[in-house]
Amino acid sequence: MEAVFSGLMALADPSLLVLLVAATLGGVMVGALPGLNATTGVALLLPFTITMEPIAAIAILTTIYCAATFAGAITAILINTPGTSASATTCLDGYPLAQRGEAGRALGMAAVSSTIGGIVSVLCLMAAAPLMARAAYNFAPPEYFALTVFGLSMLATIGDGSALKNLIAGAFGVLLATVGIDLLTSIERFTFGMNELSEGIPFVPVMIGVFGISELLVQASNLHIKREPVKMKAIRLPSREDYKRVWRTILRSSGIGTFIGILPAEGATVASMIGYNEAKRWSKHPEEFGKGSLEGVAGSEAANNSATGGAMVPTLALGIPGSPTAAVILAGLMVHGLRPGPTMFTEQADFVFAIFWAMLLVNVLFFFVGLWGAKLFARITLIPINILWPIVFTFSIVGAYALEQSMLDVWIAVGAGILGFFMRRYGFSVVPLTIGLILGGMLETRLGQSMVMLDEQWWLMLARPLSLFFFILTALALFGPYLWGRLFTQRAPIKSTGE
Amino acid sequence: MSLEDFLTSSADFEPREEGAADFPSRREQLVARFVVPLLILLFCVGAYYLSTQFDRVPPILKRGIQPSDFPQLVIGLIGFLTIWLALTQKVGKLEVLTSTVWGTLLALIGFLLVAEIDLFLGLGLFAFTLALMWGERRLWALVLVGLIIPVAVFFLFDGIFEVRFPRGPLTNLWYQ
Repeated sequence: MEAVFSGLMALADPSLLVLLVAATLGGVMVGALPGLNATTGVALLLPFTITMEPIAAIAILTTIYCAATFAGAITAILINTPGTSASATTCLDGYPLAQRGEAGRALGMAAVSSTIGGIVSVLCLMAAAPLMARAAYNFAPPEYFALTVFGLSMLATIGDGSALKNLIAGAFGVLLATVGIDLLTSIERFTFGMNELSEGIPFVPVMIGVFGISELLVQASNLHIKREPVKMKAIRLPSREDYKRVWRTILRSSGIGTFIGILPAEGATVASMIGYNEAKRWSKHPEEFGKGSLEGVAGSEAANNSATGGAMVPTLALGIPGSPTAAVILAGLMVHGLRPGPTMFTEQADFVFAIFWAMLLVNVLFFFVGLWGAKLFARITLIPINILWPIVFTFSIVGAYALEQSMLDVWIAVGAGILGFFMRRYGFSVVPLTIGLILGGMLETRLGQSMVMLDEQWWLMLARPLSLFFFILTALALFGPYLWGRLFTQRAPIKSTGE
Repeated sequence: MSLEDFLTSSADFEPREEGAADFPSRREQLVARFVVPLLILLFCVGAYYLSTQFDRVPPILKRGIQPSDFPQLVIGLIGFLTIWLALTQKVGKLEVLTSTVWGTLLALIGFLLVAEIDLFLGLGLFAFTLALMWGERRLWALVLVGLIIPVAVFFLFDGIFEVRFPRGPLTNLWYQ
């Protein structure tokens, strides 16, 4: 309990509060700009936080995460272009509402449901993360190894690409993590004699490359797209009737989003899709969905914002990222010399609770920023991309260089950007690559420790109940959808062709 | 029937739409289906070969696994998944890369080369070229992205974040 209050006191620093307000504004801007999303925003801003105190740095990154996730709704509603992929389902009903002159009502509903979803998820985070950390206290290397394998297997289900391609990209990330000096034996691997690579491939330039620079190349093929915002008179909060109609949807989607967020690697995009579908399934007016339903906006927005808090549960408690953006925040924690996991909750409890409070605060802040600033942010979306992206590139490169002050990092960022562009072109998501890169070191270390512990008899890992549980979950994550599909197909009635 | 026709006649390929200029030729579909997996497999072969060159630790000092064991396990997994992918994947529609994309790629490579001489010269030139290539013709906008922003970023990082940039003809003007 003491940590809860000392975490709150850490946030009472006026300069930090000013920074958090600025980060909220920055996060809303990042989320509102098509092409930039929470993950890219956090990756680009990570180098700026290096010289800060860890509490301020991570609080700013999580603030940008939450604010950008909400702000995707602004462009989704006003210009039918989701600012972030998590807001794609918000377009379905938000834009039709805006077209019939109810943009303000849609934005109001998005802000209210995002705020409630965010607050619910942070409260769950405050309750669940310490419990998960306590449970993980008894994990030995085999359990950690099995858990990391499970986390990586969840990569198969992320994004809209094929599971096989996601797994290949994830494995490639794990392979990249083997570059450098092997921690167990101190032998150099894949360094090609370069001293800069002896500590491994740095996370930050890779993330700046695959999220920022590859997006620049994607934008090069979207130059013909013209964006025009719909006219908006004023933003008004949803009426009492609207609340009566959507409160169940908001609570249900908040629960769904938090749960999806807790699953390793799954993020706000999956949460919003499921939240939207469930809102439609349980609605008394499903026929209105896709034509301008407030329930649709609420279902999608409550779910995607609640996933942010959920995603931080495994990130902080286990060191397994709960979403792509959480993976970048995890990299930020590591850059600051912090090791997420059970010990963080005992040794740095003040820090952990300061992050929780910052997330709670930002969910209230973006409510006001979103309501009062939506008109302004709608204009920001009209900044021509031929001015915006050269500026983004300048910040990306300087950010990649600044961390280690090494030109090799600039080459790595540009190389990762070109690689990321071609990966995306041929259907390979770049998110598994980054998560694999982050978890690869942990995976190998835990495997090595397990082999020592089990006297090189790896199969004994299956004799440990918790390890076995995680391996079963892994098998379900990998083969479950396939088996389910087969079962479903076999049971489907075969229609006669009449011939 | 040519080999190309045979390989692309599979039902896995999306039929090419009549007159759809932004969709790729069969050749590009072939690249997507077979050349990409082939490149990944070649990468795996190269990486595996490199992993065989790692030093090995004597059995008495070995802690669990040899340094090459884990990379080789991962390379094997990538190879297996890639073969599976080549045999089963469906190739969807691919947009043809426009000349602007190729130009941007070339400009990126040009940036890396100029950045070796002076990072901020490279940044300014790249930002200016990119804006111009992407259709910006207003002088103030070109000066903004090619000169004002790089200079502002330089002083922001140099002054506030105390980052020292590599020496070059332009940065030397400040550092000397």
